[in-house]
Amino acid sequence: MIRLQAVILAAGEGSRLRPLTRSKPKAMLPVANRPIIEYVIDALLENAIRDIVVVVGYRKEDAIRHLNRLDAPIQIVVQERQLGTADALRAAEPEITGDFLVLPGDNYVNAESIARIKRERNAMLVAEHPNPSNFGVVVIRKGLVREIIEKPEDAPTFTVATGVYSFTRDVFSCLQTNEIPDTLSAMIASGQRIHAIPADDWQDAIYPWDLLKLNSRMLRSITPEIAGMVDASVIRRGNVRIGAGTTIGPNTVIYGPVTIGSNCNIGPNCVIMPDTSIGDRVVLEPFTYVSDSLIMNDVTVGSHSRIVAAVFGQGCILADHTTTYPSASFIEVCGRIQREEFGAILGEGVRAAPFTTFKNCIIGNGVTVEGGKTVVGLIEDGTRVM
Amino acid sequence: MCGIVGYIGRRDATPILIQGLKRLEYRGYDSFGLATVGSAVEVYKKAGRISDSEAGASGLAGSTGIGHTRWATHGEPNDVNAHPHIDCTGRIAVVHNGIIENYSDLKRQLTERGHTFLSETDTEVIAHLIEEHYDGDLLAAVNAILPLLEGSYAILAITENTQRIVAARDASPLVLGVGDAEVFAASDMTPLLEYTERVIFLEDGDVADITPDRYTIYHDGRVVERPIELINWCVEDARKGGFAHYMLKEIYEQPQSFYETIRAGIDDHVRQMIMEADEITLVACGTSYHTTLAFKYLAESFCNLPVRVEVGSEFKYFTPPLRGLVIAVSQSGETADTIAALKMAKARNCPTLAITNMQGSTVTRVADETILMRAGPEIGVAATKSYTAQLAALMQIINLRCDGAFDDALSHAHIAIGDVLLQELHEAVDLCAKAEHVFFVGRGPFYPVSMEGALKMKEISYIHAEGYAAGELKHGPFALLTPETPVVAVCTPGPTYGVMASNIKEMKARKAPVIALGVAGDTELAGFVDIFIPIPNTHLLVQVLTASVVLQLLAYHTACALQRDVDKPRNLAKSVTVE
Repeated sequence: MIRLQAVILAAGEGSRLRPLTRSKPKAMLPVANRPIIEYVIDALLENAIRDIVVVVGYRKEDAIRHLNRLDAPIQIVVQERQLGTADALRAAEPEITGDFLVLPGDNYVNAESIARIKRERNAMLVAEHPNPSNFGVVVIRKGLVREIIEKPEDAPTFTVATGVYSFTRDVFSCLQTNEIPDTLSAMIASGQRIHAIPADDWQDAIYPWDLLKLNSRMLRSITPEIAGMVDASVIRRGNVRIGAGTTIGPNTVIYGPVTIGSNCNIGPNCVIMPDTSIGDRVVLEPFTYVSDSLIMNDVTVGSHSRIVAAVFGQGCILADHTTTYPSASFIEVCGRIQREEFGAILGEGVRAAPFTTFKNCIIGNGVTVEGGKTVVGLIEDGTRVM
Repeated sequence: MCGIVGYIGRRDATPILIQGLKRLEYRGYDSFGLATVGSAVEVYKKAGRISDSEAGASGLAGSTGIGHTRWATHGEPNDVNAHPHIDCTGRIAVVHNGIIENYSDLKRQLTERGHTFLSETDTEVIAHLIEEHYDGDLLAAVNAILPLLEGSYAILAITENTQRIVAARDASPLVLGVGDAEVFAASDMTPLLEYTERVIFLEDGDVADITPDRYTIYHDGRVVERPIELINWCVEDARKGGFAHYMLKEIYEQPQSFYETIRAGIDDHVRQMIMEADEITLVACGTSYHTTLAFKYLAESFCNLPVRVEVGSEFKYFTPPLRGLVIAVSQSGETADTIAALKMAKARNCPTLAITNMQGSTVTRVADETILMRAGPEIGVAATKSYTAQLAALMQIINLRCDGAFDDALSHAHIAIGDVLLQELHEAVDLCAKAEHVFFVGRGPFYPVSMEGALKMKEISYIHAEGYAAGELKHGPFALLTPETPVVAVCTPGPTYGVMASNIKEMKARKAPVIALGVAGDTELAGFVDIFIPIPNTHLLVQVLTASVVLQLLAYHTACALQRDVDKPRNLAKSVTVE
């Protein structure tokens, strides 16, 4: 019997997640301090699928370095230009010997979902989603896919394609355009049966604020572990992970689920509330409050700050009395007007002077904010806010 | 230079030896060979790369064997001159790293006594000498002949019908890896990483008698204990993964290796040594020489400390008067010239400090104290991450002398390094790839940065490149400027910005295309150069790092555009362990 293989597509940038995808592809964005793709790999390994091929492309170096360090042996394939998912699959063709699964590297999918689809040949995993218009909407009849409508204005159903497929090697002869859904439509048109398998648990992050939801979802499954130096006066409750070399100063309060990376310096007198991920080498100065946020590597947050519902890209340096203020206003992202409640999304290397307030805003990479400002809306990369 | 590897245990020796030799290819790749103890001593050797003809070696049987990858010193690289070398009877096989300086005398004597030599190498005399003294005890035979050898050696020898390897070292590196009922031997620890983390660094003059279950180390005829050390490198670090080249992988590892080296800090003995120094002399070769030159500029201006920098190969024969602390900088810790210089400094009672990437390497034993950089294994022949890790170690010395004034700059430097790795260099690469000559110019600490940029360009792209102090270009090299000679100039804000800008305009006036590295947002500079490459506007120390990394990428992509063998440039080997 030929073992089932899996191809993970991790070449795409994820442009709707800008500015967070400046230095890494979407699949490498961290949630609960692990790149999204690792959860996909875990789900495959739980199903005893160990023959894994990952297609990388956009900012591939970061992804390759990370994948090489995982325990599972992973075959890496490079898609030179990011033309689409079917083109990415074509890049993996030489590595494929028999039946295989295709999975997006930038969506969370659980092991049970994979267990369901791995039994079928020529199948797609589908899920219900409240906003189907961001996805390929799937029309199903008697367990078979009838039609796929890409990102429709008016979706006929709430059932969407998750991007997880089960194929045989024959699919390579059907890859005519650069997108997998076109391939499926062609297969259906030629009379092939594509099974629709409902997912057990699946979650995508389309826009930057979706990362907060995915983050809190993934924090539910962290295993508590305390390395580093935690002062005896620190109060901890719930599941808390603290990495090696991290110092937690006196009188800090941490209510899990919270994960903190390695070599951080936190406190004294900080408060870290649930649903918070803090990356490596992060500094939280005294009297700072963080809740429901995703802070990436090398971020410094000054003292007396209040950070709520925020995503900070790596290397942001924010001075004292920084506030992120959750509210909802209209923001245009990639041509669509969105209204979503969150505090702030900061790209990489944002610098802010003391007493800056970020209110429901998306701040580009390398933006500098002068003191005492309240920033709202969308700020382009490299802007100086005076 | 050459790399040797040995295996004895229960497994098939050949695949392990071949894998080990591939890991050691950075030490030389003219030719390679293996010998195993099968039904007799079975030998396979071949000129060229291992990957081209490894299949030919797969027929060798046996679970005891030795292997060699060569960087030719005596005799051109061909099948006959490749190691292992055998004696007249074909019962004894030897691999050797080093140079036997009295080999012509020995060879004459042996020929007079009726031995037939097949190769032009110095190593073959060892096989014939062992043959003369061999009466069934390989250890006794090796012990008997070592006093006859002058020069440097790490030797592995096997004979037929015996599951045994005898190893000896003097002035060439040799490491034993201790596994479970198996023992490995290699020139350095990279081939061992896959099998064991327990290693023994042999000392000069040691002879080891190795069988699958046991190893005994002798020194001056007495049994000695050498401690087993644990290595903290992991095998992933020595794998290429999905990268096109080791060099690219290593370039991308620099934010991490720089940070790790900074984080490792400096221990108290070294701290005291540095604080007490009123003068520092650094000795280094190649890329390491460029890091020490950059250190000179930075240390003299920031901490008012007199610094002298010497090239290792010159130092040995023209030793200057020495005072104060002597620091030897060597990635491999085995650079022969640097070690010789260090020994001379010790002989003059100077305190000595080694900065190296290799735990247990020769410089760490010679020097009083060591700063270990945390670059991890560097396999690409062109130094990249070891260069920035050396700068990390040296910048910490500066920071220490300045009472931690640069703590903040150094602890955030890895972010800026990561940032320039995203830089697009297409236009600059196209310009350089078409050129026959490229000049690299800078002032102050960017002068050594330019020299390093030029060295990288030469060694991997084979384009003739020169690094100059920007002001010096007018004193001669200006005659070489043409519209086909690109100049890469580093021009960042500071006291030299104005003169540097006028230098660039002078070059432009001679129609030379200029690629300028300046800080992001410098629209003035971007306005009068052909190609502008921005680096983050950070502290000067960090700019030295980021500018260097951009030049590494420029050399790398240029070499790729010209389809050069980036990881194994012609005629070169990574560690120069011969003078």
